[in-house]
Amino acid sequence: MSLPPPPGWPRISSALFYDDAAAALEWLEKAFGFVTRLRVEDGPGRIVHSELELDGGVVMVASADANRRSPRSLGGANTQALCVYVDDVDAHCERARANGATLVTEPADRDYGDEYWADRGYEALDPEGHRWWFCQRLRSRS
Amino acid sequence: MQRIVPMLVYADAPAAIEFLGKAFGFEVRFRMDMPDGSVGHAELALGDAVVMLASEWPAGGVVSPLRLPALHAQLFVRVDDVDAHFERARAEGATIAAEPADQEYGDRTYRAIDPEGQRWIFGAPLASKRPTARASRVGTSRRASSRAASRRRAK
Repeated sequence: MSLPPPPGWPRISSALFYDDAAAALEWLEKAFGFVTRLRVEDGPGRIVHSELELDGGVVMVASADANRRSPRSLGGANTQALCVYVDDVDAHCERARANGATLVTEPADRDYGDEYWADRGYEALDPEGHRWWFCQRLRSRS
Repeated sequence: MQRIVPMLVYADAPAAIEFLGKAFGFEVRFRMDMPDGSVGHAELALGDAVVMLASEWPAGGVVSPLRLPALHAQLFVRVDDVDAHFERARAEGATIAAEPADQEYGDRTYRAIDPEGQRWIFGAPLASKRPTARASRVGTSRRASSRAASRRRAK
């Protein structure tokens, strides 16, 4: 891959599906600090495509349909999670908690040894059950 | 640094790592194998970008798409040459959900499904990929709604 991705896009981004995508946008802004940069509706409140940014990272959010469903209609199971690097994971966690995120694991240091790295992170579910890790790198792999 | 990194879950993670390498061009930059043959954590790079990958853990709520009737998320990846990427993926056995096509929002994309059902869209901007197409696009509406609506159809 020698060409850079287009401006405003990381090379790899995920699209997430929600039963109530409009509520999801509002919540992801309040709780996790995303900023909605594009929102497209095909009816009142029904979001068919949106793009949210967090410090250069992008996720897309769209309304669920038959083949693209909210985790809450899949028994809560997730086939992928998103790992998001933030500057201050404890402050991020408090904001998320105050806005109703479900904490799966509280912020904790994880040191994988000198050959690997050390992180401080927490794991949370958003209101429809998408799984998120927020991490702050404490020591990188040398 | 990549701000947001997808962490993908597979039932047969070693096979997934092999497939993602052969079909999509991902290179293993880190891999932690567990004594039971599963993968505890792996990092696969495509150019400057990374996805993480691990074996599924149903008790923890993370499962292969094989276990579910539908997906709650999918991936969008920017590549240099959509058609070359597509040919390689098809030759290596990726299920093609949509062949390469120009999208009115300005990308050329194709859609693929990997052996466990994770869904991938690979795309590149039309203007940089295919300069000969530029003339025909002059005057095309580039309104966000139009671009986004067709991007949604591309999903």
